[in-house]
Amino acid sequence: MKFPRMKAAATAVVVAALALTGCSAGGAGGSSGGSSTLTLGSLLEPGALDPGQAQEGNQIVFYQAAYDSLIRRLPNGDLAPMLATDWSYSDDALALTLNLRNDVTFSDGAKLDAAAVKANMEHFKNGSGSQAHTLGDVASVEVVDDDTVTVHLAQPDPALLVSLSNAAGLMGSPAALGTDGIKTNPVGSGPYTLNVSKSTSGSEWVFDKRAGYWDPSLQKYDRIVIKYLADASARMNALLSGQIDAVRIDAAQRDRVSQGGLTIERDSNDWVGFILYDRAGQKVPALGDVRVRQAINMAIDREALLKQFGQGEGELTNQVFGPRSTGFQQTLDGTYEYNPEKARQLIQEAGYGSGIEIPYGTSALGDPAMTAVLVEQLAAIGITLKLTEVPAAEGLTSILEGRFGMGFMALFQPSSWTTISQAIAPDATFNPFHTSSPELQALIEQVRRGDDAAAQAVNTYVVENAWFAPWYRATTLFAHKPSVTVELQAEQAVPSIYNYAPAK
Amino acid sequence: MLIFLLKRIGSSILLLVVVSMLTFVLVYAGGQNVARTILGQYAGEEQVLKKAAELGLDRPLIVQYGDWFVHALTGDLGRSWFTAEPVAQALANRLVVTFTIVIIVTICTALLAVALGMLAAVRGGWIDRAVQVLGVLGLAIPGFVVALVLVSVFAVQLHWLPATGWTDFFDDPGLWAAGLVLPVAALLFGTVAGTAQQIRGSLLDVLRRDFVRTLRARGLPEREILTRHVLRAASPPGLTVLALQFVGLVGGAVIVEQVFALPGIGYLAVQATANGDMPLIIGVVLVTVVLVIIVNLVIDLLVGWLNPKARVA
Repeated sequence: MKFPRMKAAATAVVVAALALTGCSAGGAGGSSGGSSTLTLGSLLEPGALDPGQAQEGNQIVFYQAAYDSLIRRLPNGDLAPMLATDWSYSDDALALTLNLRNDVTFSDGAKLDAAAVKANMEHFKNGSGSQAHTLGDVASVEVVDDDTVTVHLAQPDPALLVSLSNAAGLMGSPAALGTDGIKTNPVGSGPYTLNVSKSTSGSEWVFDKRAGYWDPSLQKYDRIVIKYLADASARMNALLSGQIDAVRIDAAQRDRVSQGGLTIERDSNDWVGFILYDRAGQKVPALGDVRVRQAINMAIDREALLKQFGQGEGELTNQVFGPRSTGFQQTLDGTYEYNPEKARQLIQEAGYGSGIEIPYGTSALGDPAMTAVLVEQLAAIGITLKLTEVPAAEGLTSILEGRFGMGFMALFQPSSWTTISQAIAPDATFNPFHTSSPELQALIEQVRRGDDAAAQAVNTYVVENAWFAPWYRATTLFAHKPSVTVELQAEQAVPSIYNYAPAK
Repeated sequence: MLIFLLKRIGSSILLLVVVSMLTFVLVYAGGQNVARTILGQYAGEEQVLKKAAELGLDRPLIVQYGDWFVHALTGDLGRSWFTAEPVAQALANRLVVTFTIVIIVTICTALLAVALGMLAAVRGGWIDRAVQVLGVLGLAIPGFVVALVLVSVFAVQLHWLPATGWTDFFDDPGLWAAGLVLPVAALLFGTVAGTAQQIRGSLLDVLRRDFVRTLRARGLPEREILTRHVLRAASPPGLTVLALQFVGLVGGAVIVEQVFALPGIGYLAVQATANGDMPLIIGVVLVTVVLVIIVNLVIDLLVGWLNPKARVA
């Protein structure tokens, strides 16, 4: 029997496949074409591109391309002029006056002036963006003259200048603020504008250099392309195959990426460990005893965890304050060593020798192997973790509602004040039981007034009282092609777009 | 025939209304705080309440559904709560990507599976065994493993094809085609395996029937018997499998979309569900329901055309 038609069909399929392969030979890496295009990979996609909805961390680069901020943060964290040429606080730290550049226009032709800054700050503060709380202490914004604004505060905010170098400082054209258009097509004064026709929603954002931009030294590329790559292996493959110039990678991908001839930069941004939420003992009375919390700190073999789950990329720690913050104290890092025997003894002394049960939430996105190790190490000192799986979307709500006595967390290490307001103050997100004490509250108020020594005292207080059980500061790995130079950005998940340049 | 079509369309509209209602209820039954999910961990309670009011989440469920329904009737499916992109636009963009892949995979599956199934059924021997082994491998090896191996070899090692991403056909047809090769190949492995087995079994069954013996006895050429009679009689089960795979691929392509970072509907669905992005979830569900309805209708018509016995009154 012969099947000439089938043979023909099969041949056609093979020829078509070969043709597809053939015509693609020069395709890979085509999108990075030349030194004038910078192609970045991003772990997260941005939300609405309205500056009032701007997000920080991984997503900040999408906004930085299109919007300038009032203040620029240099790679080492120092503050430098951007739209504001200089700024000064009143003696009581309740008024911040900023002088503005007078040669800046938005991409729709409107001029940046004090009224525009006022409109933006009010839009940001009164809007529903995720960072709106960073202007929470702003009482009013006063237009002093065309290029001067004064920000009046209800109470001092030590993080305000940093906030103005971040989402809260991004300035959009006043005419576009609040419109539907600016949500998907930004109208800013930034070095680039979004090329809507070349961009693909949910996948790729193409920003083209803006002609007549006030500071050409910030436009090191003609085009910046940001590709959203949610999957870790997709990020690595895009990097290794030359499709993107730089991206944050997982520690587990380190060796493969190095072998591929790429450069890896390292920085430390997050601490990893437990938050002992119920330190007041409202849900689990045993957690109200400092000895039990200290015992938890001693029960965890942090070195083994770092090696096994952090690929050894990090430093052991006992504190939640980062090395760049004013509250950091190197000496606190030796407070709790791994010592299960002493931990058991502390639990006995606290009167919980018969065992303690602690409700603990796990996520389907978490690492079950890590949970198993934690369960085992805590069981060794008489603590049973009562596991409940929480859907990913409910993770945060479950913490805020105080469903669990303690939980695993990887938290960013920003400035002392931000660390306090995010994890230590009575109204902080990660203090769901609103624990405090007069001593701690007094220290926090001193930090608010700019007292750096008080920040160290707050740190000592939460370490000695074992509010947390940090294991290590994880190293962030950022890989890039040798054809690009990158400076990592202090206290930010990814480098700012200004930190990239073609290698000479 | 017309009555059959009208009945189908009527029941489909009813189905769409019921499914959209159910989706609404199910998403809310999840109990997640959508406004909080959108704003993230550091937003204050005041912001969360403001966001909830902005999205209309502070209204009773029935009012929210009614509002959505009235807008949907005018073709306005709203905007994504996360990216503010209009839902209709997001769906249209994503459907192009997923449909391109799924249609190419389905066509290639049909051609390859018929070819392999026929070879296996008619020739037997080592070809048959090879097709059966292929069938088992195709079902046993998950698509994402095939995808990762393909990327590793053809994109990372050889640099022949792009590792990730989607290029619009009108921007660069060459790059568009290149970007499709690996995702299509990764999905084909599993679909061809399953369908070829089905076609092989069905052909063997038909080949044993009396009418084939009669045709052979009448001296018809074997090729004509196979292509005009046997294949036609054996095709309905194969078509049903193809139809199921087509619908399955729209959702199942999610893994491949993730590995190749393709902005398709599958990944959109996963993200929207995790985020509780109601306008997008409903959009995706409606598109899927419409798709299932259309595919089933087309297959019914096709089977009826191929096999008069299956025609409905």
